[in-house]
Amino acid sequence: MGGTRRGRGGGEVLKSIYSILLFVLVLVACVEIGNAATAVNVYRLIQYDIAGAPFGSRLSGLNHHAGSSLSSTTTDLSRIVVILPVRELNLALLNDYITRKQALGGLLLLLPERFDFKESAEKMTSDDMDADSLVRSSMVELEKLLIHTYLPYPVYFAFENGILNAILADVRRIDATGQPASTTNGGYKLVVSTWEPKKVSSPTMTNIQGWLPGLKEDGGANQLPTIAIVASYDTFGAAPALSVGSDSNGSGVVAILEIARLFSRLYSNPKTRGRYNLLFGLTSGGPYNYNGTFKWLRSFDQRLRESIDYAICLNSIGSLNNELWVHVSKLPENMYIKQVLEGVSDVARDMGVKIVVKHKKINISDTRVAWEHEQFSRVRVTALTLSGLPVPPKLLESTWGLYDSRSSVDVNAVNRNVKLVAESLAKHIYGQQNRNIEIFAENSSLAINPSYVTLWLDLLSRTPRVAPFLQKTDPFISALKKELSDHTVDVHWHHESLDGMFTFYDSTTATLNIYQVTSVTFDLLLLLVLGSYLILLFCFLVITTRGVDDLINMFRRPPSRKIKAV
Amino acid sequence: MTMFHFLNCAILTFGPHAVYYSATPLSEYDTIGTSVKAVIVYLLTTLLKLIFLATFLKVSENDNFDPHQEFMKTLIGFIDVAGIYFALTQLTHRNISQTHKFQAVGLGWAFADSVLYRLAPLWIGARGLEFTWEYVFQGLEANANLVLNLSLSALVSLMWLRKNKPKSVIPIIYASAVILASMTSIVSYLRKVLGWEPAKVAGFELISSLVMAFISCQLYYACQRPSI
Repeated sequence: MGGTRRGRGGGEVLKSIYSILLFVLVLVACVEIGNAATAVNVYRLIQYDIAGAPFGSRLSGLNHHAGSSLSSTTTDLSRIVVILPVRELNLALLNDYITRKQALGGLLLLLPERFDFKESAEKMTSDDMDADSLVRSSMVELEKLLIHTYLPYPVYFAFENGILNAILADVRRIDATGQPASTTNGGYKLVVSTWEPKKVSSPTMTNIQGWLPGLKEDGGANQLPTIAIVASYDTFGAAPALSVGSDSNGSGVVAILEIARLFSRLYSNPKTRGRYNLLFGLTSGGPYNYNGTFKWLRSFDQRLRESIDYAICLNSIGSLNNELWVHVSKLPENMYIKQVLEGVSDVARDMGVKIVVKHKKINISDTRVAWEHEQFSRVRVTALTLSGLPVPPKLLESTWGLYDSRSSVDVNAVNRNVKLVAESLAKHIYGQQNRNIEIFAENSSLAINPSYVTLWLDLLSRTPRVAPFLQKTDPFISALKKELSDHTVDVHWHHESLDGMFTFYDSTTATLNIYQVTSVTFDLLLLLVLGSYLILLFCFLVITTRGVDDLINMFRRPPSRKIKAV
Repeated sequence: MTMFHFLNCAILTFGPHAVYYSATPLSEYDTIGTSVKAVIVYLLTTLLKLIFLATFLKVSENDNFDPHQEFMKTLIGFIDVAGIYFALTQLTHRNISQTHKFQAVGLGWAFADSVLYRLAPLWIGARGLEFTWEYVFQGLEANANLVLNLSLSALVSLMWLRKNKPKSVIPIIYASAVILASMTSIVSYLRKVLGWEPAKVAGFELISSLVMAFISCQLYYACQRPSI
């Protein structure tokens, strides 16, 4: 009886002890998180496969000491994270290192501080401009290099800031002493604790379309010819979380929205409603041979496709120079092309913009589709691309990549190009080709709204838009759809699966914890000092306190620990 | 490796207490019971102090040094003296001498203080990858605190337990006791108002504790002599 009671009591005591232990464990576990000295947001290099061939950074977890240079021959870099500021990057060295396939613990690339949303562009001196273009070209080269290589270690991007620069200076100082960074002598430890990157399951592309129906005379709307104005909105870049693509192709998206807004005003009044249907398309999959455009066009039925008179694709129209390239895939002498081209060039001439026509034939057997209009041309729709770029970009290559932020786009250029396209469209729709009138004149009710353009540019420049990482229900896509439905009717989206050739991996952002660590040698030394301190204290106390007891014995007793032991 | 650092800091923080106990005659007379009782009294006193602090002090949003509040804190800090007095007199000790009793109480008091205020930060902070000198300084402060508490309990035992002490030293005893009891506030003043660095503060604490220990020691001898 007593035994059982005791047993039960013991069980309860055990239980309570366990619960207390559990509580303490939970507390300790909570405490374990977030004891970092410095935490920095870092953005991982993209990781993807093309038809099974691996590219990009293949790892995400990081736990190594920091180093500052790739060139040191003495040290083993396989357990070191090398921090390289892009501003002073020796690209040849990095390229050499990568092509030699040497082991590396990791790579942290420091991008120059972002100067988005600051009007610093105007205040820049010519020296700044030179340095800036230098940084830009080196960043573009760097991106090309990193995107198309297989890197069996984690590669991260971070933005320079005071803390990181201070740490880098410190790391350089340590490196300069000649001793390699390792556990035996302190330094900094960079830790990114994240899970293994997983494949993005069934990545989707979302195309959004909206209509402005023309005025029917009699019969159905399908009889009316259609003009399509299209831009692809997604981006691609070395760091998916930083690929905002302000110019390519944020500028095109903004232009589409603004043109839709302008024409919705014209089309809302039956007197000014044109005899053309206008189709606005925001397509995805741009970097992947305009895969989204391809699937979007295939989803049209034959009659609709045939009713498209011509399509204008807008691409990278945000840089302010006086030349615009019109890319076509049929000879400019072709009747349909000629008609459209003349309209555009007339308006451009009035606005003082030089239009250069570039003809590039489509090779059907070539899988590469360099321009969006080529997808239209492949289904025999007359189309052209209006672009600020003279040469077609290669596969997975956007214009400036990481550098393509808000500051690389000029609002005035976007406004001008919007006006150019809208004006030529209007002249075509209303048959005013040869008359010298300005429909979207400034200060009229149909003027371009620069603040609208700026706002959307700002939004686009804040939103990374790499298609595989955009969910179907992403707020940004919803916002685009809503904006388009404010101006046009019959708006819907098409979700298409991304070409199976590409596989993408997640964990595009992470938090980098930087710890200042000491070496084992230091800890040993500290232990030695503390041990001798305690021994000295012991001896001192034995001498003095036994003396307090007996003043006479103070010097007689040997200050030895043996006595104590006895 | 970080566990190593934690162990180092723990040795620095709690080692001296153990060394003090084993090196001095306290271990010979087996005064551990007295120390444990002192620990319990310390816990109760701290609870009482917390209640007083919560009752009489406003919660300050910022970490500024408010003279009025700090004065109140110092006053509440004198509850410590009462606690030590209680531990010295009211607890039924085994028959040990006054000299050992105050040492045992002071040791228990300092140890409880170290465990309560320093163990948790140590466990959380020193095991992290990041290295800071903070915990080494904290360990040094624990050392200084041990010396201060021993001095304080010596003075308290002089103040109320020894009857036949020379009249001339009485004001010095009281003054020293007040200084010792308000040491926390003095340190917080140095840290917050004068903005001293941790190294400097720890150094000040060590030196001041040694000075106070020397004074208390002299006072103790001065009171001891007539009785011999």
